[in-house]
Amino acid sequence: MKEQPRRIAVLVADTLQSVGLQTLLSDYFAPVEIESFASYGEMAAGTPESFDYYVMPAETYALHADFFLPRRQRVILLAQQCDDRPGANVISVSCPQEEILGRLTQIFAQADRADMPATPGRELSAREVEVLRLIVRGRINKEIADELSIGFQTVLTHRKNITAKLGIKTVSGLTFFALMNGYVSADEIRQ
Amino acid sequence: MQLYKSMQLGGVIHEYPMLIPIVGRFGIRLGVGEKSIGEIAAEYGVDADFLVMVLNTYLNESYFPEQKLRLFHVSQIVDYLTKTNAYYLKFQLPNIEKHLKAFIASSPKNTRSLDMLAGLLDSFTAELKARIARDTEVDFPGFLALGRQCAGGTVGAGAMGAGAVPEDNAELLLADMQNILIRFLAGDYNENLCYAVIFALNSMERDVRQHNRIRHRILYPIVEAMRQNAGR
Repeated sequence: MKEQPRRIAVLVADTLQSVGLQTLLSDYFAPVEIESFASYGEMAAGTPESFDYYVMPAETYALHADFFLPRRQRVILLAQQCDDRPGANVISVSCPQEEILGRLTQIFAQADRADMPATPGRELSAREVEVLRLIVRGRINKEIADELSIGFQTVLTHRKNITAKLGIKTVSGLTFFALMNGYVSADEIRQ
Repeated sequence: MQLYKSMQLGGVIHEYPMLIPIVGRFGIRLGVGEKSIGEIAAEYGVDADFLVMVLNTYLNESYFPEQKLRLFHVSQIVDYLTKTNAYYLKFQLPNIEKHLKAFIASSPKNTRSLDMLAGLLDSFTAELKARIARDTEVDFPGFLALGRQCAGGTVGAGAMGAGAVPEDNAELLLADMQNILIRFLAGDYNENLCYAVIFALNSMERDVRQHNRIRHRILYPIVEAMRQNAGR
């Protein structure tokens, strides 16, 4: 169970749907902090990356995939039809309330499990993320040392730690990881 | 378990089916009846000692009788590695591609991440093909020519030092692809097809590792020793 409240962005233009969702989330999944937005643009004007979850129709997700794709495990999609696939982060607005609650419970439980690192201390540190971003942008060790104003040996240590934590050794593999986790964009890699 | 020429090949293959492609590289087909490894080798005109060595090398990563392997002719090793290369291109790569394609098709929610994984496979394929092209066009013909110049094409026991096996990016890419699936796959996916992809990647990684050991610890030191002999 999370001690901190879940921060949830509800990006739903339909007022009744939005209010209904906020009520269910507040009543059954406390503690939560919910902000509602009528559009993506409204959310993007603030601090869009600060939320733990984003609830929206599939169209909004598709239109703003650049932002949501790296956060896809935190996205809850609203569908008109019931979706029985286990594990899919989809809730149907036409399902009975208890089914919607059951699906939300599953989604939050799954995300909570994903939050727990397999081994304590396996998350990349902020500095390791910086090094990773430069590696996948094609910088060699000396360039990384210069750009981050750290020693050459320190770069090597960071690289060793990144590989140990992720189990990924090649630049191609690290690029995949960085893209999928939103550490870099495809455009940055092409630079 | 260590294999010997007197052992029944059918029983060995039943116990270790991963050896099927290895015996296949020697031209040996299934339908081996009750015959021993030695009898089957004679039937197919294969050097039984070399066959047993390669099977043992593949089966036990700690088994590597370098002194014995060095007594084989350089052409035998080049021939085996050439057939290994051909097997990668003809069977193992298409097998991984086929399973990954089916896996991607069955996982619509993960399409982008799996497409990127397919991109990693492309990197691996390009790297492997470049190496095989170099083997085929430059290195192996050169090694065979050197073998013809040197008496017998062998260098004898104790004539050289053991070569180190450097990190191979192609092998690392295979390991990375498996790790990415095992550690970072998320959302809805077809477990059976995912297992098929990982199994195919793992089989090839294991094969490439043995290939690299034979290449770096046997072939290259033999070639280096032959070059030194030829230079005398």
